[in-house]
Amino acid sequence: MAASLLEIRNLAVRFTTGDGPVYAVNDLDLEVRRGEVLGMVGESGSGKSQTWLAIMGLLAKNGRAEGSVRLGGEEILNLPQRALTRLRGERMAMIFQDPMTAMNPFLTVGRQMTEVLEWHRGMSRREARARCIGALESVHITDAARRLSMYPHEFSGGMRQRVMIATALLTEPQLLICDEPTTALDVTVQAQILALLDELRQRFGTAIVLVTHDLGVIAQLADRVIVMYAGRQVEQAEVHTLYGAYRHPYTEGLLRSVPRLDQPRSARLATIPGRPPDLARRPAGCPFEPRCAYASEICRRQMPPLVSLGDAHLRACHYDGALGPQERGA
Amino acid sequence: MSEPALLEVRALDVHFSVRGPGLLPSRLTLRAVDQVSFDVRAGEVLGVVGESGCGKSTLSRALLKLIPATGGSVRLRGVELTTLPKAAMRPLRRSMQMIFQDPLASLDPRMTVGEIIAEPMKALLPAMGRVEREQRVLRTMQQVGLLPAQINRYPHEFSGGQAQRIGIARALVVEPQLVICDEPVSALDVSIKSQIINLLLDLRAEHGLTYIFVAHDLATVRHIADRVMVLYLGRVMEITDRDALYARPLHPYTRLLLSAVPIPDPALARRRRVAPAREELPSPLALPSGCAFRTRCPLADARCVAERPVLREIDGRYVACHHAEAAAA
Repeated sequence: MAASLLEIRNLAVRFTTGDGPVYAVNDLDLEVRRGEVLGMVGESGSGKSQTWLAIMGLLAKNGRAEGSVRLGGEEILNLPQRALTRLRGERMAMIFQDPMTAMNPFLTVGRQMTEVLEWHRGMSRREARARCIGALESVHITDAARRLSMYPHEFSGGMRQRVMIATALLTEPQLLICDEPTTALDVTVQAQILALLDELRQRFGTAIVLVTHDLGVIAQLADRVIVMYAGRQVEQAEVHTLYGAYRHPYTEGLLRSVPRLDQPRSARLATIPGRPPDLARRPAGCPFEPRCAYASEICRRQMPPLVSLGDAHLRACHYDGALGPQERGA
Repeated sequence: MSEPALLEVRALDVHFSVRGPGLLPSRLTLRAVDQVSFDVRAGEVLGVVGESGCGKSTLSRALLKLIPATGGSVRLRGVELTTLPKAAMRPLRRSMQMIFQDPLASLDPRMTVGEIIAEPMKALLPAMGRVEREQRVLRTMQQVGLLPAQINRYPHEFSGGQAQRIGIARALVVEPQLVICDEPVSALDVSIKSQIINLLLDLRAEHGLTYIFVAHDLATVRHIADRVMVLYLGRVMEITDRDALYARPLHPYTRLLLSAVPIPDPALARRRRVAPAREELPSPLALPSGCAFRTRCPLADARCVAERPVLREIDGRYVACHHAEAAAA
């Protein structure tokens, strides 16, 4: 097993709001291994983005993170601002769904990129420029020298995301966190960006965390997958196990409700009944229980712990029987 | 086609005049919708797909006259809409309603659910009395899966999926024949998306509705549509029955789109060849000569540069490609 790069223990993220506290992430334990692609999948409010924003020290002002996060053995959660800035530039980087919001519209792409190297690596402008041209070429942007003098709005969405990836990789971070990196892009461009991430991982050995709601994107790229629901990890497995032998009812619900082109068209889509959970409430039992077809009395009373099923397969569920439509009755 | 279509669109143009670059800019023409022709038959679901900038949203708005057409014709049951005066259009608006992508953004935050759903009736059925209106609001809420007790709530109290049910109720309350759904499930979570798609299919069966279902997600469209129209840079590339289109796409652009849809199966996803990193979308202000798709097309040749392919019939399917016979063979 590959060595672990990032270790998260007991991570909790809470927001203080006018209507009381909102529990965005609860009791999260996980690790990211060197060079792997870890997929984290969940719907809105599942805590998948807030987990990584907390680790990057980018939570909104009313947010607070507790627990422990170690990068290469060193505690990094809630570091002072100055130390965080260094860490973010040099050892881990994050890219977002909409690159436009992460870029300064008034500065050329070149200025935004060279600044990173001048600040973190003490390079001269000239040196930095040469490196940035190389970085743009590594993400397959042609005519890189000319593009450096262009402004973000002059790029298409796909090109902007390439620029963001190139910028994030300038300092050769060990960990690249991608939060819905292709959600705003067209499918043809999405396919290119996913191929690019895969190529960069192989070339530079960068560990990638891929946060998305899209099970198709995860299937394409991830080595391991974590499924989140209501701020909790409900299942974790190697990618083929998760798609082929999932053991959590929510994972099953997600996989069955996606319309897909690789299977015959069915007359009706399977659904997960009910609504997304209210994060201001902290149920005593399983947060998925109100929507779960397999729920029983214990699920209402007691939070299921995350337990190992062997083979690095973990899940948090009381139900012990078989999943699948055939067991569910008519 | 024996029965006349519910909606007939012929050579529809929606062109915008925009400012060009430079100090003394000339006006440039953006052809958002360019010579688009298609029929919508009563009771069918026509899917409209394409990437961003393909004109699918502009087209939906132009059909409802929310944006003026600059050329061509739109006929609803034989009545020409493009030249119809505003007053004469009003009764027809009852027949054509729209459901939008972002349910929360499209609902007035200061109105209650009951007021939001009643509003189109006040505008389009002014003769209707208050009691009947309220009954119809409650009946429609029930049909879309909202509870009567929610009638005095405000939109922000609803989740995205519930808010989209309000948007659907508002469209259906005037009993339209044709509903244009513009990316109605794109903003919703996976588990909620399938609920709304099933609801739209149920409502169609119950009320004999006709849908134009605009979306960028080809897997969702396959689920709901009977026929599919593929747009690229404002032009129709292919219009075909659903099963034929997904089993054997004739246009190279349709094939490119289908090959890029992610498959939620790791074994299949990794075996598949990734779509090649070809040119990105050309600027809609400077369309390529001939075929609009030729700069990204693996089959492009001299003829594609010189001559714009017309939409023509091959084996009962409509394709705008000089090389479609090769794909059909």
